Amino acid sequence: MDIKLPNLGEGADSGVVVSILVNVGEEIAEGQNIIELETGKAVASIPSSAAGKVESIRVKVGDKITPGTVILTVSGGGTQAAAPAVPAPAAKPRPAARPQAPAVEEPVEVEEASETEEEPTPTVESTEQYFTPPASPTIRKLARELGIDLRRVKGSQHGGRIVMEDLRRYIQGLIRAAEKARTAPPAAAPATGGAAVAPVSVDFAQWGPITRVPFSPLRQVLSRRLVESVNTLPQVTQFDEADITSLLALRQEHAAAYEAKGARLTLTGFAIVALVATLKKYPIFNSSLDEVTQEIVYKNYYHIGIAVDTEAGLLVPVIRDADRKSLLELSLALVEVANKARDRKLAPADMQGGTCTISNQGPLGGAHFTPIVNKPECAILGLGRGVLKPVVQKDGSLAPRTLLPLALSYDHRLVDGAQAARFITDLRVFLENFPPDLVKI
Amino acid sequence: MEPIKTDLVVLGAGPGGYAAAFYAADLGKKVILVDQNPRLGGVCLNEGCIPSKALLHATKVLGEAKTFAEHGIVFGEPKIDVSKLRAWKDSVLQRLGTGVASLAKMRQVTVMTGRGYFESSDLLRVETPEGQKFLTYDKAIIAVGSKPAMPRAFDLGNPRVMTSREALELPDIPADLLVIGGGYIGMELGTVYAALGSRVTVVEALDNILSGADPDLARPVVNYAKKNFRELRVKTRVLDMSTAGKQIRVVMDVNGERMEELYDRVLVSVGRVPNGEDIGLENTRVIRDEKGFIKVNERMETTDPKLLAIGDIAGGVLLAHKAHKEARVAVESLCGEASVFKDVVIPAVVFTEPELAWCGLTEEEARQKGIKVEVAKFPWAASGRAMTFDKTEGMTKLIIDPESERILGAGIVGHGAGELIAEGVLAVEMGATAHDLAACIHPHPTLSETFMEAAEVFYGYATHAYSRRKRHAEA
Repeated sequence: MDIKLPNLGEGADSGVVVSILVNVGEEIAEGQNIIELETGKAVASIPSSAAGKVESIRVKVGDKITPGTVILTVSGGGTQAAAPAVPAPAAKPRPAARPQAPAVEEPVEVEEASETEEEPTPTVESTEQYFTPPASPTIRKLARELGIDLRRVKGSQHGGRIVMEDLRRYIQGLIRAAEKARTAPPAAAPATGGAAVAPVSVDFAQWGPITRVPFSPLRQVLSRRLVESVNTLPQVTQFDEADITSLLALRQEHAAAYEAKGARLTLTGFAIVALVATLKKYPIFNSSLDEVTQEIVYKNYYHIGIAVDTEAGLLVPVIRDADRKSLLELSLALVEVANKARDRKLAPADMQGGTCTISNQGPLGGAHFTPIVNKPECAILGLGRGVLKPVVQKDGSLAPRTLLPLALSYDHRLVDGAQAARFITDLRVFLENFPPDLVKI
Repeated sequence: MEPIKTDLVVLGAGPGGYAAAFYAADLGKKVILVDQNPRLGGVCLNEGCIPSKALLHATKVLGEAKTFAEHGIVFGEPKIDVSKLRAWKDSVLQRLGTGVASLAKMRQVTVMTGRGYFESSDLLRVETPEGQKFLTYDKAIIAVGSKPAMPRAFDLGNPRVMTSREALELPDIPADLLVIGGGYIGMELGTVYAALGSRVTVVEALDNILSGADPDLARPVVNYAKKNFRELRVKTRVLDMSTAGKQIRVVMDVNGERMEELYDRVLVSVGRVPNGEDIGLENTRVIRDEKGFIKVNERMETTDPKLLAIGDIAGGVLLAHKAHKEARVAVESLCGEASVFKDVVIPAVVFTEPELAWCGLTEEEARQKGIKVEVAKFPWAASGRAMTFDKTEGMTKLIIDPESERILGAGIVGHGAGELIAEGVLAVEMGATAHDLAACIHPHPTLSETFMEAAEVFYGYATHAYSRRKRHAEA
């Protein structure tokens, strides 16, 4: 008979198999745990609903399964298992490191890239997400002073407890990796980026008074992502300037109508429309490189990330299906995501799945800048402040025109300079000749 | 007037404040410690932990003398001289207060008596008996503590309605005492008064007393209270109180039913509120939460770069030992060390009869958060030492991660649980596994063996508890 995954209870509609606790041919008892399942919240053991001999195991570690999925087939039910089986040590669950976190937030495991035999590797315990790694307060404080995340240190003691010796071995591993990176030619550097040098805490107080404030968790996530992006992507930034004089006139003309609907007609809104139109023409800019399979993933949807400056730091909420929204809908969506970001009400899902990002610094001033690609996206568009400049007209005369600085950073692995030049030119032309029909409500 | 300049000012000389002042002085800082009470030690020493434990010890003596009659030693009916008992308790406080003052002196910490008031982030005015003094400093630590909450509806201006502060003064032994609030303060003081001869009624709005403790650990305490108190009433709200001659008339809603009774005294123990008013915080950049606790980060820094806050005023659990640890973190962080108050195990002890203590993860919390744990329990009925104490009602339990076998939490109910829990704290903080505990020799015969045996229960080979279930320990 088939043993199926039972209902998981409130809020959990699926789970990932993290370990299989039984073997084919084994006699199992009713109620004996057969697999361990990770649902969003926790790792739970799933008991067998019947007794018998395991004929076949129908799931494997890593499978995402839903209630009703057949886990095992057993035969000859009714057999009394003599004693509850002790899970074989080999079947020890090894949940993937924080599987609930989006891939982009994964810390760069630089030290794993080098292949020395006793390289430090992360130990992951089932309670890891709730508790700090097992280590004495003295070791924890030392690690904090050295800027070492103990989750990456393998504990040698029973239960994975980390002692001074483990910390020393880990630090020696970091030093070796750094040494190797220094001596090896740059071309030999592993694909995931250069090796990290152990952070050094500088005593700034010796030169004058200082204030230390914590680096907030948001900034830590942000910095990991930025470091990962610059370390792993060859990025080029393409500049241009769009003449938005007529666009501004168009905005002037319709601003009141938008305001009446509770929206603000902003340059960001116009830029989304222009960007989506240009992305459709050059789909490679809306793609991602799958580094594992070495495939280019073209996305047939246009979810645009909007960089929002908040008190806590930079957040990038995503406006979904921007290609299917009118300028009015986009303008309303912009107000909504900006408010949510500032009130810190964005759910993780609100910030995932973007295909291209816009960072508009215009309202704050500034001209061209070099935005960092929001990995795994291919490109990011930076907007500066539109400035009135004398522009030479076709007839040779000078006319005052408003010019908007454009900066397009892109993943050079996917895109070549020629395509980028074509892309930004088309984008500029679109902005300069913005179709009035798209603005009308 | 020229302000006095110092490295560090500590406002409030409770267990957090004086610990911070002493530690900073030990690390070479010039420290001024300000408190309005000339006797140092704060609530803990003067009107909290210490006086209540002195009185609880007296109740323990009474209880043991009484129960031992069954085993052949019969004392006469005890005579209680309240004023002598009060004087002994006060002498303990006096001795400790003097001790703290002399420790301050040895460390050259300047103690200033008077109310402190922040004129600005970097200027504290102190109203001393010799007049106003002004202090400037590099940093100040705010450790002004908390006080018992007294809801306005209960505040009749009648001394028969007491908070823990007045109850610990031991004004008399009321014939009928109502305790409002079945938390640890209410249960401890209820125990004291019941042993001294009061008929004690405890009412609690929630549906269980000592919420926060695992129900199986709280059960012996509930059993004792049921036997020695007049009544324990849960799901009960006090609707109204009024003075009725020499008594207090109390109207309550007992699980939907209205009840009116007369009591000689009422103890209101419904929580504590921070002492953040009237110290000039509005003149600083300190931000407080909606309950009035000062917001701090894990380095105990407030939103004002000149000011840190520790102890009850900084929120969290309101316990002296939490304040003491925060004092260490605050001083180390202002000295530039990378100390944080994070992932720290804070033990909880309720000094009832029997004592109840726990630390780290509780079984209930694991259940609520869906954390997979295994619970190993060792009943004290199997402990030889517990039998020789005639205190077999007790249990030691461990909350264990079945995967790593790491000890995530410990809970004890029974005689001396407060002393015993320290081993649990050490185990959790050190990341010890059940095997580590089981492998340590524990002296025989002591109650500490119950820790070792609970760890052995996890593996199924406890000497004094038979278990069918066996599990191999990875040595």
